[in-house]
Amino acid sequence: MKTFAYFMSCINESMTKELDKALDQWEKDFDLKFIKLHDGTCCGGSNLDYVDPKEFLVINARNIALAEKENLDLVTSCNTCLLSLRRAKQELDSSEENKTFVNSILKKQNLEYTGKSEVKHLLWVLNEDLGLDAIKAKVKTPLKDYKIAPFYGCHILRPSSLMGKDDPSNPKSLDQLVDVLGAKTVDYKSNNECCGFHTLLVAEDASLNIAADALENAIETDADFIVTPCPLCHTVLDSYQQKALKKRNVKDSIPVLHLSQLVGLALGYTQKQLGINRHIVSLSK
Amino acid sequence: MFSTKIMMPMVEVKEETRDITFKIFRYNPQIDAQPFFDDFNIPVEKGITVLRALNYIKENIEPRLSYRAFCQAGICGSCAMKINGVTKLACTTQVWDELENCAEENVLLIEPVSNLHVLKDMVVDMDMVVDKIEKYFGWVSTKMPENQFGKKEFNIPEEEFKLYDAATDCILCASCISECTMTKANKDYITPAVLLKTYRMESDSRDSISDKRMDTLVEKNGVWDCTHCYRCMEYCVKHIPIMDSIHHLREKAIETRGKTDTAGAKHADAFVKDIQSKGRLVESLLPIRTNGLMWTVRNMLPMAFKLTKKGKTPPPPFLMKPIPGIKSLRDLLADLKNRNQTTHNGKGGSK
Ligand code: SF4
Ligand code: SF4
Ligand code: FES
Repeated sequence: MKTFAYFMSCINESMTKELDKALDQWEKDFDLKFIKLHDGTCCGGSNLDYVDPKEFLVINARNIALAEKENLDLVTSCNTCLLSLRRAKQELDSSEENKTFVNSILKKQNLEYTGKSEVKHLLWVLNEDLGLDAIKAKVKTPLKDYKIAPFYGCHILRPSSLMGKDDPSNPKSLDQLVDVLGAKTVDYKSNNECCGFHTLLVAEDASLNIAADALENAIETDADFIVTPCPLCHTVLDSYQQKALKKRNVKDSIPVLHLSQLVGLALGYTQKQLGINRHIVSLSK
Repeated sequence: MFSTKIMMPMVEVKEETRDITFKIFRYNPQIDAQPFFDDFNIPVEKGITVLRALNYIKENIEPRLSYRAFCQAGICGSCAMKINGVTKLACTTQVWDELENCAEENVLLIEPVSNLHVLKDMVVDMDMVVDKIEKYFGWVSTKMPENQFGKKEFNIPEEEFKLYDAATDCILCASCISECTMTKANKDYITPAVLLKTYRMESDSRDSISDKRMDTLVEKNGVWDCTHCYRCMEYCVKHIPIMDSIHHLREKAIETRGKTDTAGAKHADAFVKDIQSKGRLVESLLPIRTNGLMWTVRNMLPMAFKLTKKGKTPPPPFLMKPIPGIKSLRDLLADLKNRNQTTHNGKGGSK
């Protein structure tokens, strides 16, 4: 049994609950266990790091320390949480001064940050800890009828100095996973672009432009759906899809699946079990 | 006198050469109705840069081919172009290294940078960048009275220089602008290179026009419009941590200058408040706190109905339980507040 601490992203507790629901369905199939860190806090959402750099560092040291306490690596299924946690980890692991400072505060909560736990994305756990062969062996209903557009999102790729798994100009990890699940991927240039999420409330028009570019690009490839490893990208591409495409007078639409749902489909779970019916754009096949 | 004849061993010196096709973007707006691509097939030795290959084509095949270049050493910033879809300097990129990035075997795709107006082939109009540097006061306006000029030195301590050391490496090549998400979506956006320049001037103790600069910076199209996509930083040809500079400008806008009455600042502030009260973000309130009730009703209501139907609306605050350890989290935050330690993380644009 492979066990990980699982970071509870704010958005997966509210708008994209279906992401974790799907994960809950199939973790046992792989002898995986994700222990939810109920006491973890918001990672700061790529905002706290400049509003209050010290608080950013301390709360994320606390988040990682909660996993360290269980002697587990910390897994997240949100790209931006990945960025915050890894950025904090890098700032801590590279500076004794930072580490001493956060530990002087964490100590009072009976926590300590040592740096022993890795911070990983769910996609990396699937590809590396579990392995593509092991996944392939469990596939019950190969997704051979589907053509899929993988949309990586930003913070699982960039900055590559902090992530370092994929070539950010030519990422492969999600494509490889789709491949072992039996589906075909389409080649399209938006796969490593931004979804526009982080400026939705600040510069809405431009953000919808950004989303529409990616959506139109995926629609042009004739893909059956988009799959993304990030719930923030999912929210823009699914919940805001009509709004974005309306501005361009595009009548077509394209469903968007979470990574956890894609795996679930190939393992034979129903759309309902995986919460795919909660999406705004429905998946027909 | 006698001579010895030194016999050279018979080694055939074979230069490694490959036939490579350069698929080059061509466009002369004065003549061409549409841009098109020209293919040039030339033999290229290992070690040759894209710029030298272009020079070869220009000298031997197509004298009208246009691009900018000067220093040939990654210093002047004039030769940025898209090579196999990614913006790079032609003079520091070797042709053979690019072969693995070709969509079609041994065919190198050469295009002008994105997001700037094409004047001819790979030559783009840099006026947009210059205009923005001007708009955001991208220079130091000294505090020193004019009658002191040349009489007094302005000493910059090393500590201060470290703040903008990396930022001064910028060669204004526009690679980051070409790769920027927000510039593509909104041509009026400040652009990453100009944000970096703004940061560099803001951190200079000789400067006296921070007020004007920051006022402009927090307006629409300014520092709050960046999507945090990290593309600029990823593709900066000088590896400058541009995002750190953007973060520093935002931090300065909120903390030092109290410019909190912007959607961007309010949005950021919500994270701090929610972590304090619940440990988690209260997403249902984020639109209202960022843009007010009217905006939210106008912009979000139609979508909210659809979300509600699918059970996707974020829970209202009173239905959101704080994390189980909220009390100890608040203690921790209070402890943090009490310490007036001044360690700062991630100096923007510093090495
Ligand atoms: S991080 Fe901001 S400035 Fe940099 S490329 Fe993305 S949108 Fe542009
Ligand atoms: S920041 Fe980097 S990529 Fe952008 S103009 Fe300067 S040197 Fe070029
Ligand atoms: S020619 Fe000067 S940077 Fe390339």
